[in-house]
Amino acid sequence: MEDFEGKRILVIQTHGVESPTRTYSPLFYAMAAAAMEMDVMVWFTMNGTNQLKKGEAEKVQLDPASDVTLKTMLEQTIESGVKLRVCQQSMALWKMSKEDLVDGVEILGATSIIDLALNSAHVMYF
Amino acid sequence: MSDREEIRGCVILKNLYYLVDDHTWLTVNDDATVTVGMTDVAQNMAGAILHAKAKKVGTFREKGKPLATVESSKWVGPLKSPVSGEIIEINEEIIRDAQAINRSPYKNGWIIKLKPSKLDEELKDMLTGDAAVQAYRERIEKEDLKACRHVEGFEC
Repeated sequence: MEDFEGKRILVIQTHGVESPTRTYSPLFYAMAAAAMEMDVMVWFTMNGTNQLKKGEAEKVQLDPASDVTLKTMLEQTIESGVKLRVCQQSMALWKMSKEDLVDGVEILGATSIIDLALNSAHVMYF
Repeated sequence: MSDREEIRGCVILKNLYYLVDDHTWLTVNDDATVTVGMTDVAQNMAGAILHAKAKKVGTFREKGKPLATVESSKWVGPLKSPVSGEIIEINEEIIRDAQAINRSPYKNGWIIKLKPSKLDEELKDMLTGDAAVQAYRERIEKEDLKACRHVEGFEC
């Protein structure tokens, strides 16, 4: 395995709880990159924002036979060292306040994300 | 006295050293190298393992740094090095067939061999024998981990 330690990768998630099959994979890729020692951030914007509202992610379960929900995936992603950030402007779209957010997520504005994108080795957009 | 214990069906071999928090085991070989792998509990939590990728032979890893990445259909994460040392051998079998880790976590499913740099010091942080069994029992019960399900051909 090549050594990718310290490389920055930005994952942009634009899909939310209305499309469950598009929610797990970006988090899975982020966890894989973290396991490969990369500096990983997931940026939730547009519809992606709504999965971060308290009480929403636990409703999404891709495999009924598994006890893994989207909430589990988000928690595992944070535990793996991935940074989760949400678009402040998109929160308004879903009428979300800071208090509505699940733990472990920080709010950033649009200029910050442009700065992060330009300073990342790669951007994965979903 | 038995050399193994089962906790909710998960096998713990008492002759190995464990870092329970990281689900890793280690054994010291006759040539002073160490062999490292994932525990039975870990392979059970991961489910059917699809891929394993290891750092290159010759890479030096500090304790706690990833030696390899392991992924299943529902989990992906690092195998953290339980001790500091240089990677001297990778188990090619698990690279070709990662489910060897499910089938034989303590034998054919070993992952990496290291030439440790400060084994005496770092081995003190690991648990073995009854202490390891007790620590694993506490973790399994605290987290209410599911009983181990073993694939056909499981051995340990």
